[in-house]
Amino acid sequence: MRYARRAATIVALAALVATSACSVEDDPGSSSSDASAKCGSGKDFLIGMSQANNAEPYRQVMNDDVSNAAKAVPGFKVVVSDAAQDNSKQVADVENFLSQGINLLIISPNEAKPLTAVVKKAYDQGIPVIVLDRKVEGDAYTAFIGGDNVAIGKAAGEYYAKTLLPQGGKVVEISGLPGSTPAAERAQGFREGIASNPKIQIVASQTAEWLREKGQSVMDAMLKSTPDIDAVYAHNDPMAEGAYLAAKAAGKETAIKFTGIDALPVPSGGIKAVEQGRLQATFQYPTGGREAIDLAKKILVDCAKDVPKTTTLGTQQITKENAAEVYTKLGGKQ
Amino acid sequence: MNSPNPTSVAEAPREAPPRRGPIRLPRDRHAIVDSFFRFQSLFGLAAVFIIAIAVSPVRNGESVFLSSGNLANIVRAVSEIGIIAVGMTFVILIGGIDLSVGAVLGLAAVGSATLMVDSGMGILPTVLIVLLIGTAFGATQGAIVARLGIQSFIVTLAGLQAARGIARMWSGGLGIPIAYGDGPQEAPEAFSTLSGSINGVLPVPALLFLAIGVGALLVLRTTAFARHVYAIGGNEKAARLSGVPVRRVRITVFAISGLLAALAGIIHAGQLNQGSPNDGAGYELDAIAAVVIGGTSLAGGSGSMGGTIAGALLLGILNNILALNNIDANVQLVVKGLVIVAAAALQKLRPRIA
Repeated sequence: MRYARRAATIVALAALVATSACSVEDDPGSSSSDASAKCGSGKDFLIGMSQANNAEPYRQVMNDDVSNAAKAVPGFKVVVSDAAQDNSKQVADVENFLSQGINLLIISPNEAKPLTAVVKKAYDQGIPVIVLDRKVEGDAYTAFIGGDNVAIGKAAGEYYAKTLLPQGGKVVEISGLPGSTPAAERAQGFREGIASNPKIQIVASQTAEWLREKGQSVMDAMLKSTPDIDAVYAHNDPMAEGAYLAAKAAGKETAIKFTGIDALPVPSGGIKAVEQGRLQATFQYPTGGREAIDLAKKILVDCAKDVPKTTTLGTQQITKENAAEVYTKLGGKQ
Repeated sequence: MNSPNPTSVAEAPREAPPRRGPIRLPRDRHAIVDSFFRFQSLFGLAAVFIIAIAVSPVRNGESVFLSSGNLANIVRAVSEIGIIAVGMTFVILIGGIDLSVGAVLGLAAVGSATLMVDSGMGILPTVLIVLLIGTAFGATQGAIVARLGIQSFIVTLAGLQAARGIARMWSGGLGIPIAYGDGPQEAPEAFSTLSGSINGVLPVPALLFLAIGVGALLVLRTTAFARHVYAIGGNEKAARLSGVPVRRVRITVFAISGLLAALAGIIHAGQLNQGSPNDGAGYELDAIAAVVIGGTSLAGGSGSMGGTIAGALLLGILNNILALNNIDANVQLVVKGLVIVAAAALQKLRPRIA
């Protein structure tokens, strides 16, 4: 009992100390930079990065891209918040940034509609807002930077038509979360891309909700229901890897070709899977993190008045030939 | 009662029974310690508030934390969790738990959006139907708990899944955006009041939270229903033997929880201009945290509504001050975990010291 009580007291004290210690370790001076401080070189700028969800690898890479690019710009300080997929929390995150007096907001909204009002509020206060990857409604923001999922799907489709299956063949599609925009667009683009080669058939299409383990179980089922699959087009790399595992368990991993999308430069990402020969190809879905900081530098340091309202990022095809090189170029960790 | 000699024993002056536990304190000191534990969450709230003032970043010579805009943000951000936590307090007081509240919030948000936008209903019928759905959902869970004697943890865990499933079926799996106007696919402008504020300062959701909190506080202080709630949480068998309608109280308590979760869902849809079936994921845990920090025992039978309100505000201030100081998101989670454990640990100390 005595131990229990002592332990409880220690925990209670630790909580208090943790609260206060964490709160004071940050230099309050740095976040007190004046919101009305206008652009120009040699000044300090606080940039708020509101992320929809830190738990996804893609978004973690986006945060890293933003932070690393910002380190190269003197005077830039980036703070990142995690809305954990909760629209309400993301609204509160942005409100907190506004209270702190950020000089520029970068936001990757969890969903468009619920974040529109608070983004407009920031924009109306004269704070430049760069919207990343997912859009908000209306035009009360400074710039949007994002990839084009239709174009990426199309690039994948053309690769199938010309390089992977020039003689035609049976393709199964493993798609992302039903109803999500990227899943719909990656499906649509792919069909446009393979249209030039009528000998390519999509014989089955199932969802694995972006998840590796579901990719595996869906592929398991398709291997039994669909004979002679030539290739698997997965809407992201983890599902492609899951499908590969299922095929391997059935002893068919060399007879079937796999491709994914996203090409994250992390050890568990698609570039490594291509390099190691499990996937034939993957197609980069750029995070826009570096581009956002480039734009922030133009707005805050160079005082640019006219920045492009929309920047659509291109994709990059990654095959065994360029995988190692792209991995390094994108700043991948070994 | 009609014993011929009823008085001698009962009325004889007696010494107070000896206190249990390893520590015996003099009476006055004991009272001080006891009231500290009784108002633990208030002291905690005050302490966190003072720490927040002390470590708040300063901008243009003013405390960012204390700015009226920031304080309003805190109460607005915490109001949905707060309203859910009020209902959760009743459930926990009878020794139960309600894991379905976050999913019911999502269902209610979808319901609000669908009824107004797709079915073209007015605000009043929409609100009434959605509140009815929430209440019915809660009451059904309560009835299963009370009639079949299944633990509420299990029943509401199933309810969580079911409510999410219904919400996804109803919405087609997608968020339903709410546009305002008079058109056929538009919600009445008045519904957007939920994202507004009174006099530009007090956010409407915060006002609703305070009203519901105070109402529940009065219910819990004054009504026979509240005595039944405490009695069931304290000792169910004794309560039943002394005539407490245990089943009815059970069902009512879960119905209240469902009702308030649905109300939070309506507010959620109004604040975010959208009803999405995934809204409110994990809110049940935040609400339970608020109740626990407020000093209510998960074993049931002891606790207070004031504590829950203070607990919810404490969580809100904690979130805010950690964010204002740019503490890493992962560290924030650890700190919140420590605070919850600390609050529970203090409760454990209470019977020993006091």
